[in-house]
Amino acid sequence: MTRYGGLGRTRPKKLTSKASIPVVRESDIDAIDDDIQSSLQQIETGVEKAEESEIHLQRAINATAQGKVNEAHIPTPETILSNLQYDELYPPIFSQPATYIRFSSTVEDCCGCPYNMTEEDDVFLKIMNEKRDPSAGRCTEDIFEEVMNFFEETAQIKQPYASIDNPPVLSFAEMQDMMDATLEDPMKIFAKEIYEHWKSRRMAVQNNPLVPQLKFETGQDTDDSDPFVCFRRREVRQIRKTRGRDAQSAEKLRRLRKELEDARELVALVRQREVARREMLSVERQLFKQRCEVKEMKRKLNIKDDDEDLINQKPKKRVLDMPPQRPNAPQLRMPLKAGQGAEDLQLLEDVQAEKENEILRDIKQNITKHIKWNEGYVDHTRAPLSPSPERIFDVAAFRPAFTAQLPTPPSSESSGEMDTSLDVTSPLFSRDKLTSHTMELHDEPHRMPSFRRRVGRGGRLMIDRRNMGPRKVDMDPFKADRFKFDQEDSDEEPDYDTDAYSIQIMQHRAITMAKAREQAAVAAQAHAQAQAQAAQAQRRLLEQNGQHQGSTGSNLGPSAVSVSET
Amino acid sequence: MGVRDSHGEMTGTPDPVDRGFATLNTIRIGVKAMVQKDGELRKAEILSIRHRKDGPSFYVHYVDFNKRLDEWVASSRIDLSQEVEWPQPEKADKKKTAAASKAAPSKNVTANKRARADSRDMSQTPDILGGKNLNIGKASRPSKAGGKENLGAETPGDTSMFPSEAVSTVGTPKATESEDFEMADAAAESKSVKEDQVQTATGEVITRGEEIERLRTGGSMTQNPTEIHRVRNLTRLQMGKYDVEPWYFSPYPDSFSDVDLVYIDEFCLSYFDNKRAFERHRAKCTLTHPPGNEIYRDDYISFFEVDGRRQRTWCRNLCLLSKLFLDHKTLYYDVDPFLFYCMTTRDETGCHFVGYFSKEKDSAEGYNLACIMTLPQYQRRGFGRLLISFSYELSKREGKLGSPEKPLSDLGLLGYRQYWRETLVELLIEPNREAISENELAVLTSMTEKDVHETLVVFNMLRYHKGNWVIVLTDQVVEEHEKRLKKEEIKGARKIDPARLQWKPPVFAASSRTWNW
Repeated sequence: MTRYGGLGRTRPKKLTSKASIPVVRESDIDAIDDDIQSSLQQIETGVEKAEESEIHLQRAINATAQGKVNEAHIPTPETILSNLQYDELYPPIFSQPATYIRFSSTVEDCCGCPYNMTEEDDVFLKIMNEKRDPSAGRCTEDIFEEVMNFFEETAQIKQPYASIDNPPVLSFAEMQDMMDATLEDPMKIFAKEIYEHWKSRRMAVQNNPLVPQLKFETGQDTDDSDPFVCFRRREVRQIRKTRGRDAQSAEKLRRLRKELEDARELVALVRQREVARREMLSVERQLFKQRCEVKEMKRKLNIKDDDEDLINQKPKKRVLDMPPQRPNAPQLRMPLKAGQGAEDLQLLEDVQAEKENEILRDIKQNITKHIKWNEGYVDHTRAPLSPSPERIFDVAAFRPAFTAQLPTPPSSESSGEMDTSLDVTSPLFSRDKLTSHTMELHDEPHRMPSFRRRVGRGGRLMIDRRNMGPRKVDMDPFKADRFKFDQEDSDEEPDYDTDAYSIQIMQHRAITMAKAREQAAVAAQAHAQAQAQAAQAQRRLLEQNGQHQGSTGSNLGPSAVSVSET
Repeated sequence: MGVRDSHGEMTGTPDPVDRGFATLNTIRIGVKAMVQKDGELRKAEILSIRHRKDGPSFYVHYVDFNKRLDEWVASSRIDLSQEVEWPQPEKADKKKTAAASKAAPSKNVTANKRARADSRDMSQTPDILGGKNLNIGKASRPSKAGGKENLGAETPGDTSMFPSEAVSTVGTPKATESEDFEMADAAAESKSVKEDQVQTATGEVITRGEEIERLRTGGSMTQNPTEIHRVRNLTRLQMGKYDVEPWYFSPYPDSFSDVDLVYIDEFCLSYFDNKRAFERHRAKCTLTHPPGNEIYRDDYISFFEVDGRRQRTWCRNLCLLSKLFLDHKTLYYDVDPFLFYCMTTRDETGCHFVGYFSKEKDSAEGYNLACIMTLPQYQRRGFGRLLISFSYELSKREGKLGSPEKPLSDLGLLGYRQYWRETLVELLIEPNREAISENELAVLTSMTEKDVHETLVVFNMLRYHKGNWVIVLTDQVVEEHEKRLKKEEIKGARKIDPARLQWKPPVFAASSRTWNW
């Protein structure tokens, strides 16, 4: 850098890898700068430091730097053509498949018997075969190798540490144990003889394997410094925790992706279905329109036939004239022949009504049956199957105070009481219960509680109600008892207040007030008319009384309750 | 040039070198003498001595030449009329501490590199720096040596990971001379502490004097194990149609060092020290191509992908073979975590293995290649370039930027630089190319931005001109490019055609990526 200072230059701009650099030819720029450039940066070669200085390498580097690439030559030892009979050893057996080769057999799979005969073995085998009775068969090279290999392998198995502790050569007896399992019968014949040969050869190499082996670790201290020891096992590398976590989260992401993919596919399929459906609908609509035209035409031309062409041949697939309803075959004919169509329609209604009735009958039967079962018993369980008779109220509650899950079939008691134990709003509330309940209500329409919602001043929301049953009904006696001293439960407190709005109580109040007024009037009139005309007074009084009562009764009507909703 | 590491210090410092005349009897391992080579005298270090009927011969390493040129020389080639440099037992202690303390603070990078290399090295000289009571024979791996002096150099080694095969690192991690001084150092230590005792590879304890005597009289391989891997152990290789001279040590069975010719099966890469056995094997072996899936095929070559875990034997065979030609490859660990991409040429006998590169299944450092090798019999024919090109083609398919694992060998460096330069020039020379960023170049080539940048700098193409950076297509690279085009016109271009690559980046479960033993 000081060089630049010396030349009165500023330090060169920093070069970032993203910066676009103009490409120019040498002739486009001045050559002046060259000197500085060459020593601009020292680039590491990547060669081992100690070898960087090697003469041939330096020469080659300098040659390439000067552009004399051909001189960049590093001498290496010569290779020469071998005088081996290559063609005999490597027969031309390879034929290239049309597709790329896929191959997974190992060297062991492809090399046959791992033991290979040496010249020494050849000599022995020849002598052995000559000595043998020709009728008894000869030992082939392959068999010989198999047997030798067996000895080698057995020795390896039985004396795995032969190279360290120098045990004596394995005896033939020891070999025989293993022999039965591994060697085939024709080989066993020769085993004994070959064993002697094998033994002598093993002795010659201090009981080391006959085929030179690579040196693997033995667990001894000398391993590390022994240059012949190779292919060590890796010490188990501690798997970094972050890695594991990475793998885990990757796995999670993969799963998530798959799930999303599945969902997407589902949606796509649904869309496909709906598109198909829309198409179908439009086609059917078109069909219907055209049929209408056909019908019109038929009428005009007065063609009378069985009108088969106006209905679909498959009865299930009908033109949808009324979108959501299940199209019925008779309905199609409706516009055609009014009488018949009406009949058909009637029929359907009848069927439906009958079904309804059947269900209701069934339910009623069940209810009565249930009551019969429980006759003479008083069910005092928490949520009794059939409520005890004294708690029967004829007025439906405004609001169930609690909802209890009934493990037993719903109570068959046909009273408003049910609402206290069942969640009316729940969709689970069975249909037949509702019907029976409505029926009960229909019996006494004036008893039905009714509500009116209205918006008051300042946007207050008011709910007016009438015919409210006494609140006490809401309370299970056990629970009421439980809450008796529970001051915190302010929600439950108004239970008692609402009594004041009970019709009965209000009536009572009205009557007592009326009575008081009546009494006052009686007293005043008694003063005025005194003892005279007692009978007349008595009659008039009776009339007055009746008027009063009537007016108070009408006043009783709607009792307004303002419920401020939050 | 950058720092030359302790090696540089050794030769550069004015420390007096112990010089003196030697005779054939006093000459010993570690001595540097002048040796006749190609008609000139070169300084060479004696690495091994063997005695045969026709007199002693010496395994020498020529200082400042690649180890592949190391060789056995007869005593007549050693010039004993000149003084030799003796290994320096007395000086070493002081110097080593100096080197260590220097290495630690000021040259962290190199220290790290060294230490890392050390820790991975299979046959490494123990870092004798700290091991006062270690003797040579019982060398332990540096991470276990517990001296305080070497902490600086060593701790990084401890924390470093062990990528098993480095392109090249680690077979011989040390500068020859620095190793030499450590040796000498150790000798000194053992002299003072252990009363001249050393332990041989076989474990017996002998005195230093006895050991030297043994080295002189006994077989070549009984010496101190730290020296073994510096001496090529195979003499010659028979493989396919060729006889090949190995370049470096490879841990084939140690009895193989006694035979003149080792036979390698061209297809299964099995090794034999016996011709008859090899022939028998050939009669049985049915492999005609690398045992994996073919992932690329054109009319010239095929590529096979071989999983180190599934084809353990074959991949081990391959590694043993390639270690013969890769100095810095380590076979310390097994082949499981690697995939091997093998290039073959075809004829009626099969798909002949030409070269390969290995690739970590999961490279933490973003390497797209671990080791790369073309067999010597196929070198200088453009196969290396195809291999490199293929490795980048895989990276492109993966959508990653990649770089080869370091250190590179000398040949690796030249090969890569050539490929990088040609690839970049090809892009830059496109008509209408007015400007491009290094990042864009990287994405187009799958090279890392660092490699792009460094290539541009090395070939003097990135310049600062009138206050702006410019990429200069120098006359030189343009000329090279045109020459290459002409050559390709005549000879036909050998290129990897991405359309012929049938390959998806393999996915491995965490269990198969780790070493599931």
